[in-house]
Amino acid sequence: MLYLDDASREPSRREFLKRLAAASAAAMAAAAPRLVSADDPGDGVEHPEPTADACILLWMAGGMAAPETFDPKRYAPFEVGLPANEIMSTFPAIDTAVDNIKIAQGLENIARVLDRGTLVRSHRLPDLGHILHSRHQYHWHTGYVPPQTVAAPHIGAWIARVLGPRNPAIPAFIDIGQRLDDVGEKEELKAFHTAGFLGAEYGPFLLPYPDQAIAAVRPPKGMTPERFQARERRYRELVQRSPLGESGSRYQQASMLRAMENAYRLLNSPERAAFDLSLEPKEHYEKYDTGRFGRGCLLARRLVEAGARFIEVTTEYVPFLHWDTHENGHTTAERMKQEIDRPIARLVLDLDERGLLDRTLVVVASEFSRDMMIEGIPGSAAVDQSRAKADFMQEMKHYGLHRHFTGSSSVVLFGGGMKRGALYGATAPERPCLVTENPVTVSDLHATLLTAMGVSPAMAFTVEKRPFYVTQDGKGRAIRELFA
Amino acid sequence: MHWLATSLPALAATVLGALAPGEPIDFAHDVLPLLRARCARCHTAGEHKGDVSMDTRAALIGSQAVVPGDSSASPLIERVTSGDPAERMPPKADPLTEKEIAVLRAWIDEGVAWQEGFSFAKASYMAPLKPRRPELPPAHDGRTSGIDRIVDAYFDQHGDVPPEAIDDSAFIRRLSLDVIGLLPAPEELDAFVADAAPDKRAQLIARLLGNRRAYAEHWLTFWNDLLRNDYQGTGYIDGGRRAITGWLYRALLDNEPYDQFVRDLISPTPESEGFIKGIKWRGNVNASQATEIQFAQNISQVFLGINMKCASCHDSFIDNWKLADAYGLAAIIADTPPEIHRCDKPSGVTARAKFVFPELGDIDTAEPRNERLRRTAELMTHPENGRFARTIVNRIWQRLMGRGIVQPVDVMSNEPWSVDLLDYLATQLADSHYDLKKAIELIVSSRAYQSRCVPPPDPGSGDYIFRGPIAQRMTAEQFLDAVYRITGTAPEKPAADFGDRDGDPVRAALVAADPLMRSLGRPNREQIVTTRPEELSTLQALDLTNGAVMAELVERGAKNLSREDAGDAARELVDRLYRAALCRRPTDAELETALNMVGSPVTAEGLSDLFWAVFMLPEFQFIQ
Repeated sequence: MLYLDDASREPSRREFLKRLAAASAAAMAAAAPRLVSADDPGDGVEHPEPTADACILLWMAGGMAAPETFDPKRYAPFEVGLPANEIMSTFPAIDTAVDNIKIAQGLENIARVLDRGTLVRSHRLPDLGHILHSRHQYHWHTGYVPPQTVAAPHIGAWIARVLGPRNPAIPAFIDIGQRLDDVGEKEELKAFHTAGFLGAEYGPFLLPYPDQAIAAVRPPKGMTPERFQARERRYRELVQRSPLGESGSRYQQASMLRAMENAYRLLNSPERAAFDLSLEPKEHYEKYDTGRFGRGCLLARRLVEAGARFIEVTTEYVPFLHWDTHENGHTTAERMKQEIDRPIARLVLDLDERGLLDRTLVVVASEFSRDMMIEGIPGSAAVDQSRAKADFMQEMKHYGLHRHFTGSSSVVLFGGGMKRGALYGATAPERPCLVTENPVTVSDLHATLLTAMGVSPAMAFTVEKRPFYVTQDGKGRAIRELFA
Repeated sequence: MHWLATSLPALAATVLGALAPGEPIDFAHDVLPLLRARCARCHTAGEHKGDVSMDTRAALIGSQAVVPGDSSASPLIERVTSGDPAERMPPKADPLTEKEIAVLRAWIDEGVAWQEGFSFAKASYMAPLKPRRPELPPAHDGRTSGIDRIVDAYFDQHGDVPPEAIDDSAFIRRLSLDVIGLLPAPEELDAFVADAAPDKRAQLIARLLGNRRAYAEHWLTFWNDLLRNDYQGTGYIDGGRRAITGWLYRALLDNEPYDQFVRDLISPTPESEGFIKGIKWRGNVNASQATEIQFAQNISQVFLGINMKCASCHDSFIDNWKLADAYGLAAIIADTPPEIHRCDKPSGVTARAKFVFPELGDIDTAEPRNERLRRTAELMTHPENGRFARTIVNRIWQRLMGRGIVQPVDVMSNEPWSVDLLDYLATQLADSHYDLKKAIELIVSSRAYQSRCVPPPDPGSGDYIFRGPIAQRMTAEQFLDAVYRITGTAPEKPAADFGDRDGDPVRAALVAADPLMRSLGRPNREQIVTTRPEELSTLQALDLTNGAVMAELVERGAKNLSREDAGDAARELVDRLYRAALCRRPTDAELETALNMVGSPVTAEGLSDLFWAVFMLPEFQFIQ
């Protein structure tokens, strides 16, 4: 229903609507994005059969150290005088539900559900000369190393653009937990939290505070629902009563009113309840409630149940906080694991119990790993950014993995067509812990995720007359061995 | 289907059920690849077997292969579905699949949509370099301006009539927003409408263009976008980025001639050097993002409408620009002649300084850098460089008329819909010593500008035909300036020193972008931006409907204004709001609704809701 929907004014409404539909489609094509494929730009592109309908990306922002989490190495407990170069991991390894896989202490809950997922230890990131979280995060989320001459879209925006929503009342791309204002490097964060050239319509629906998510789909602060509805009703009345003005802008008016009505519909749909964590039974809420990230996982589960397509939940990037351990690494990693362990495991179990895990791909990833000694990769020109340098351990703040390591990193994939209880790739047992088998690039990881969702890694849109591919140059290759 | 697009009718959903549920047929995505793969070899680009050409939509329809809107009457469908192998298309190949046939049927039934400007045939248009002075056709019915003489002849040629003229109140609203970015105050509106002077429109144009500060503060946004100034992008940069705001603001206040303006940018003083310096990114970056390559890309795009981005990496696949052209420009600014990199790999060849149009003159690589830049500025603004004036007049025409004479505005090698009009405006600009205000005056004085808006180009037709101005959405800055003025909520002080502003309310362009401005399309200027998004997205609509910034502005505005008016005073308040926002009085029906909203006596709550409702009217948000 359009606000202009008034038979007396619109003799040929049907015709008009048809034109409107065609116009939107053509505007999309004309405004640039045009589908082509890498192999043969003339031949369109064959999308794979999806193994997942929804995707939840659990983002370990700031560089999660693989040796402290999913790729434990030789453990050296803290003692004063311990040489730094003898430290590989600051946590002992523990058993998991899969015989041949051990992960680090502090992830006991995830260990118990690892039989529902695939662990990739051979994710390799580029060395960009100077390790900057924001550049690597941009690269990880868009598939392109910044700077770029056109604004590259976030992978969630690609999915929103190509697949659209599963449920029209739930935005196709939702981002939970990251504030984009009043935090350090906010412009860097905004640079990839965007649909870029695909257009604002496909950008992220931002929910920085999970327990306030409902506010994003509720009337403005301080406005009662009654007043909000009355305002809307009067607004429609004013639109109806306005002399239509210049006929020339009818199409544009309708398009604008459609957006307004979509917004209002979202603010009034029954699915809105999915955004409201206060509706979750208390004992369930508590299972997730380790902090903002845990509550974000709960929100993601509720939204996937309601029909969300792509959700990112982040531990939140704030320079030098959370996984961004430039000092005090051991203590911080311990706290971060407490924050993520229970909710991630719970999310996997809940989805599985509800029969949703098979068609929901859950990905745990980070922009790079960390190491006690090496910044970047061996031989890199990157400046060492540790804030607690010590050749020998003096105090706890020295104890931890404070350098940004790009030579290998861990990714966990649950559900969505991935193998259960599998391990892929390996890293060297001794420093430098580089990938020793089956390296996985960002392009290949994206290709895997996109393939699972039913999007060809070789698809592209034309922007400024040239193809812009969903994976770099359309060359991302899905890793078949990860699929069940 | 996108989650927001649910009001679109489930177009031909039954036919397409097996394809992409709910998605309307899209020429570029669905049809073009199919035509390319199965039909193009015999029916496009010089091959027109059986007298069927698919080069353009017009050619396809002219070949009588399709009947728009009726697939069952279209020979194309008959031929691809024929059971007779001698009849069936494509010959000697597998028949089309059911899905492919369904796509073609739906496409024809929906009217044979075509991508604007797309043709299978090789482009025949070559954009000229030299300026050209077209002969003006005779004037019709007192429409004597050069623009109208050309446009009227164009209408005749296309069997069209000019759109109706707009009335005074529509004119003052459109003109004020276009020239100074502000709505007229109700008193200005009333005075203008009441004015009996026959030349009152010309007077108004002169008055608005003469408002130096308001003009500068509006066009600041346009130039900030184009020159990547007022950068709010990422900080992983190591300097090399300098704001030129002070210089730019003064250049706009003084209406610096455009050729001098560009010379100041290319061969700069310390105040204006930010533009050519580009951004020096931290860490390793692709060779095509080195600062000297940014120089090549930016001066080509902004001043000449040339896309050098492809040619910065390899010889362009999309036009004739070569890697050597991009590096020829880069060598002008580089301290030492750069080595040409092909796709980020060194080639061993050293670039020599060269302008994109070497026929205008040489640049001596051996001269010092400043001299090379001075020479480049000279060649850019050379009287024989017609592309220079054409590019800027086309941008201004697009801002004022809703669509370029050449489209997109950054691809000046595309064919204009009127070569004469483009050349006329360009030579007029040069004749006026590159006075941009004169160029604006020329356009807004035309009957073509002062006429009613027409719908945006029909997406179903391939070739654009000019029929009149196209309504445009306010920019984020225009929208907020309008809201600030009406509600009295302008920011307290500008983000930088803009000199003595005589206590004028602070404008949106003078403060840092807030989340609402960002949402409504004010860019962070990491890339050059030459056009803003035309459509309101649903996420933007959400920010307007329940976002904190908008809510706060209308609440605060209502508190500023509500005086518990009742009866006639309340009526007067609504009347004034309509005149301020829409440049017209409310109808009786509108007045009734509005009075119901504000309450009697007027409450702050009611007034804030009415503000919101009026600001959300398409009539408010469009410049038409």
